[in-house]
Amino acid sequence: MLKARTVPDHIPESLVFDFDIYGDDRLGEDLHQSYEALHQDAPDVFWTPRNGGHWMITRYDDIMDVVRDPAHFSVREMQIPRVEDPPLFIPLSLDPPDNFPYRQALMPFFAPKTIRAMEPKIRSFAVDIIEAVLERGECDFVDEVSSQFPVSVFMELMGMPLDHLREFRTQADAYFESRSDEDVAANFGKIVGIMTELIEARRTDPKDDLISKMVQMKIGENDVSLGELQSICSILFLGGMDTVTNVSSYLFRHLASDAKLQARLAAEPAKIPAFIEEGLRSFGVVNTPRLVTQDFERFGAPFREGEMVLCMLPLGGRDGRKNENPNAFDIDREKIDHVTFSSGPHLCLGHVLARLEMRILTEEWVKRIPSFRVKPGVKARSRVGTVMALEDLPLEWDK
Amino acid sequence: MVRITFITPGGDAIQVNANVGDSLMEVAVKHDVAGMVAACGGCLACATCHVYIDDQWRKKLEVQSDPEIEMLEYASHIEADSRLSCQIVIGASMDGAIVRMPPSQD
Repeated sequence: MLKARTVPDHIPESLVFDFDIYGDDRLGEDLHQSYEALHQDAPDVFWTPRNGGHWMITRYDDIMDVVRDPAHFSVREMQIPRVEDPPLFIPLSLDPPDNFPYRQALMPFFAPKTIRAMEPKIRSFAVDIIEAVLERGECDFVDEVSSQFPVSVFMELMGMPLDHLREFRTQADAYFESRSDEDVAANFGKIVGIMTELIEARRTDPKDDLISKMVQMKIGENDVSLGELQSICSILFLGGMDTVTNVSSYLFRHLASDAKLQARLAAEPAKIPAFIEEGLRSFGVVNTPRLVTQDFERFGAPFREGEMVLCMLPLGGRDGRKNENPNAFDIDREKIDHVTFSSGPHLCLGHVLARLEMRILTEEWVKRIPSFRVKPGVKARSRVGTVMALEDLPLEWDK
Repeated sequence: MVRITFITPGGDAIQVNANVGDSLMEVAVKHDVAGMVAACGGCLACATCHVYIDDQWRKKLEVQSDPEIEMLEYASHIEADSRLSCQIVIGASMDGAIVRMPPSQD
């Protein structure tokens, strides 16, 4: 039997559920709601024989348990299926205590007060991007708004000079449009190249920006190396772009379908933070992998060293045991529980920034475009996998 | 059991019984105390379990570790009596302690 090859003998049949994270037939146009059906159809923790075979963790409490237990569930490999020579992302693919000095060094740049100081700049980026499409009465929200905004914010955060803006944006676009593994690698290499030039420039001529400060970072007693800086910049780029883009895209697709909610946000902008938090709960986009470090039992499942585990972070927020009516979008919930930013030693470093970006984008959008809709006849298409993305979102509004 | 009173950002006083050995953050999470976020779950990866502890009880606690002092710098609304509650282990000497929550964790 074909299946026997990817279901190891120690895993009982009752814990096996056939699911392909890179394109399962069960995943529908409403990606998150169709994913949530796993809570009814599959065991809480199950083994799928697809993609080399791996565990999937679907419930909030179990996900929390995994991401807060690096001794059993390591971040040192994050590819499903496993690959030879997995890439090292600092600090993402370092377990504690190795990740700690890097995190400490980066923390000041992502602390609430640092982020608050960036608010006027971030707001002006949002305004520029929205005003560029406003008069047209239509746009592709993904292409023209939600993927553009975090690039500007990233460049501002890193202190990338404006004369690099066009070059960097073009390269970022090429990266996000690449589909084949070769294109992804080539375009990512170019992004690292642009950042390396900047690192070298700031080494000799430091300015008052993040890259200059990163160049001077101490990791314990040692100076940070170029390789470490490249790795850190890469993960800041990857972590800061796709994520905000994709959550915002799914959230605005929802908002476009709900005229009452649009009217409410326009009339009560003070509810926008609650709208963002409910959006984060409903439309998480990152599934985070872990590597099992030893043989042990948990959640009634027999884990073996070397097995991959995928924590379905978006399903944490959709867990009916934590949030009643998990598929209902309700900005008046008394309590919103989600694990969209993960938790534990790898809690998303940019969670304050991400919330701020999404709040500002929404505030500035509803001020100018209080009523809008998805163009008729357009079907939602998603890319799925460890990061989930809405491909496009054609919107229209009355001019 | 040790009695702890949390004062929420809204000014409500919530009195709870805490187990010796739990962290103060865990106690607040267990009782859904408003103003507690504790995003990382207690591994000093964030500063979202920030609380104020009055001098009277503060003196009885173990001294702050360097990593806590460093991480606390990134919290908002810092005052002289600020602490990260995940780093405080409940002991019998904390009976009756009053713990104030900051206006927000961000």
